[in-house]
Amino acid sequence: MTIAPLSSPHAFPVADGERDAALAARLDRLWSAPHTLFGWFGTVDHKRIGVRYLVTAVALLIVGGLEALLMRLQLIGPERRLLSPEAYNQLFTMHGMTMILWYAAPVLSGFGNYLVPLLMGSRDMAFPRLNAFSYWMYLCSGLLLYGSVLFGQAPDAGWFAYVPLAARRYDAGLNMDFYPAAILALTLSTTAGAINFLVTIAKHRAPGMSLGRMPLFLYSTGTTAVLSLLALPALTVACVFLELDRRWGTHFFTPDGGGAPLLWQHLFWFFGHPWVYIVFLPATGMVSMLLPVYARRPIVGYKLVAASTVLTGLVGLSVWVHHMFAVGMGGAAMSFFSAASMTISLFSTIQISCWVATLWSGKPVRTTSLWFALGFIATFVIGGLSGVVTAVIPFDWQVHDTYFVVAHLHYVLIGANVFPVFAGLYHWWPKLTGRLADEAAGKLGFWMMFVGFNLGFFPMHLSGLLGMRRRVYTYGADEGLATLNYISTLGALLLAAGTLVTIANLVWSWRRGRFAGPDPWGADTLEWSIPSPPPSYGFARIPTVTSRHPLWDEHDEYADPRRERELAEGRLTLSTSPIDAKPRAITAGEPESLAPLALAVAITAVFAALVGSGVVVALALVVVVAAIAAAWLWPRRAA
Amino acid sequence: MSAAPVEVGRTTEPRLDTLPPEESRGTWGMSFAILTETLLFVSLFFAYFYVRSLREDWLSQPPPHIRLALVLLAVLLVSSGTLELAKHALARSRAFLARFWLALTVALGGAFVVVQAMEYRRRLRDIRPTTNVYGSLFYAVTTFHALHVVVGLAMLVFVLFLPRLRPARGPRRPLENAALYWHFVDAVWVVVVALLYVLPQRGRP
Repeated sequence: MTIAPLSSPHAFPVADGERDAALAARLDRLWSAPHTLFGWFGTVDHKRIGVRYLVTAVALLIVGGLEALLMRLQLIGPERRLLSPEAYNQLFTMHGMTMILWYAAPVLSGFGNYLVPLLMGSRDMAFPRLNAFSYWMYLCSGLLLYGSVLFGQAPDAGWFAYVPLAARRYDAGLNMDFYPAAILALTLSTTAGAINFLVTIAKHRAPGMSLGRMPLFLYSTGTTAVLSLLALPALTVACVFLELDRRWGTHFFTPDGGGAPLLWQHLFWFFGHPWVYIVFLPATGMVSMLLPVYARRPIVGYKLVAASTVLTGLVGLSVWVHHMFAVGMGGAAMSFFSAASMTISLFSTIQISCWVATLWSGKPVRTTSLWFALGFIATFVIGGLSGVVTAVIPFDWQVHDTYFVVAHLHYVLIGANVFPVFAGLYHWWPKLTGRLADEAAGKLGFWMMFVGFNLGFFPMHLSGLLGMRRRVYTYGADEGLATLNYISTLGALLLAAGTLVTIANLVWSWRRGRFAGPDPWGADTLEWSIPSPPPSYGFARIPTVTSRHPLWDEHDEYADPRRERELAEGRLTLSTSPIDAKPRAITAGEPESLAPLALAVAITAVFAALVGSGVVVALALVVVVAAIAAAWLWPRRAA
Repeated sequence: MSAAPVEVGRTTEPRLDTLPPEESRGTWGMSFAILTETLLFVSLFFAYFYVRSLREDWLSQPPPHIRLALVLLAVLLVSSGTLELAKHALARSRAFLARFWLALTVALGGAFVVVQAMEYRRRLRDIRPTTNVYGSLFYAVTTFHALHVVVGLAMLVFVLFLPRLRPARGPRRPLENAALYWHFVDAVWVVVVALLYVLPQRGRP
């Protein structure tokens, strides 16, 4: 379906025949990677890297989903023996790690990589090769994690890896040595990506796109990037300490040497809770972008939504202790963290109110993408409410480590990540592929997912209140949990089938869908002003922005009488000032390079060597890493 | 490309395609990297003080050798000064002088690593990383810092060997960006000395 454009008398620049064709050909020669193996492995095109992120993350979503299905089949009835307790431990750990660390955040990095430069009229990210490195490092860290499966020794102490369970004394295999190695590799990818996003957002916005005119997705991606930079080091320290304790006999977490097991929990949750916002905020940013398009009006409370996004991030840094209310702490500390946790729900409420008001006062067009966004809001409200009650300490003590918490976190994570991700995929699919996804199949997939999700996870609130424990491979026949678990498993199967329909629909339309044209939704932001799929150079002329909704308002962003916006002397894009986006300089892009791939492989080899206790090999590989980094940074000869 | 503003219609702004080449993104990137590195050390100090708050016997641990730490501090502070002199020389286009000061900075950084190795040799006789949690944390914090010194040194050596200190392609301001990192490593050592070496001297029986 096509929404008629809003009042937009000249939504697209009138083509100036020959001159534009010549410019396009010239830019494409400059920007497109050669169609060779070198071009494939060496590309620095943010759009291709973004698509790779998306494909890899969705593949891991499927893997993590299959792990969940195995667990649900085990739990379909009491005392079943489909899985051994050891296999179950590995499955729930790998499911958690895959979904939270290797799917939920990277899939949003995929959207970020693809969209951030296009949303702001830039031709690439600030550091194109670093961007390629982020992706390869992400892929390699995932391979390292799943390499553990080949040895039959996948991590098995939960994705939060509490000590002493994760210590060598109770977990002697390689299982929990893969855990810190794979995570440290992943943090490198995430950190590099976060720095890239921040510098890009600060310096590459189109002239005129001041802070007050930035698309909301940029606010959420920027906040997320800051959170990553602030929160990930704690995880790095925790993982290094864990491995030192396991292999080198130190005493960070071992009480017999005076260490503190709770130190792990503090470090882990200082990272872990902000991570919840890292996997959630960009998703809300996408909803803030696409929901107004389908409501056919600008978002209500733009400034409120932007401010809530940033404040959620800031306050999100100071609530980590609410994962630890059951460990015994001072009353004042507990009260502070309880209050801070409740404050956060305020900012989410503001955002949700703005979305609802936007729909209420608009004329919503019910596309599949909007249905997923609505599914997100409904689910997230339920997950948010069960979160508010678990911030109440006496209640938390009752439900801690039960399926109530499992239900809560899946309502939050599936609600606030998976649904918005599919809303975003349906919304930007025409841009990515040039084709429209089928709406009927899309809605079928959505309803299967939505009903399956609620059927699967709502009963877990009840089984949790009835006392069903998390992370235990079965339950007794006399506990009265059989019916609820049976329903949960049926729901999980329906959710999986719905996801399959959705993904199949997207894949099918990639090749067979109807042509979309540049702007099938009549949307307001810059990425819709260029062809679908976008050419290698993105924008033929660097646009100028004079409002929050460049394509909805009067605009002449492509008027270029002096031919100064073409920047066709090389891989060039414009650099602007961070606050008011005044043109400042011309940024030179980077050519294709194999150095990012080589560096990612070498760093992963270092971690793999450490898992295998090959210290000498690891040190030798560190020298290789340094050599590759130096070669990467060495000035190029003039082309 | 001509630098003069061209008037076309109502527009008198300078032409976009005559703007200067952008040189600051490396500095931006390095600044954000330093932000996340700062949090790395915050996490380490948090671990140190959190465990310290749980244990009564912290002050009875063998005290670190403050004198060598102060020597190391002096070495690093002087190296930051020589690095600033290198930047200053480069700013006045005296590339050879800049390389001289840079080489001196590298030598001082190397001296830091050697002296700290000496300090470790003495210290390991008193306490080891595997002795107890105090030993684990002391060596963790100081080794994390030492690794940062090594990385900073690698950056400075890289810059020292660059054919030009103001490359036209690739990193635009390598000396300035490496210097930013080096000053950060230097500043962290000030905090390490204050918290791990000086503070435990107070209230010691």
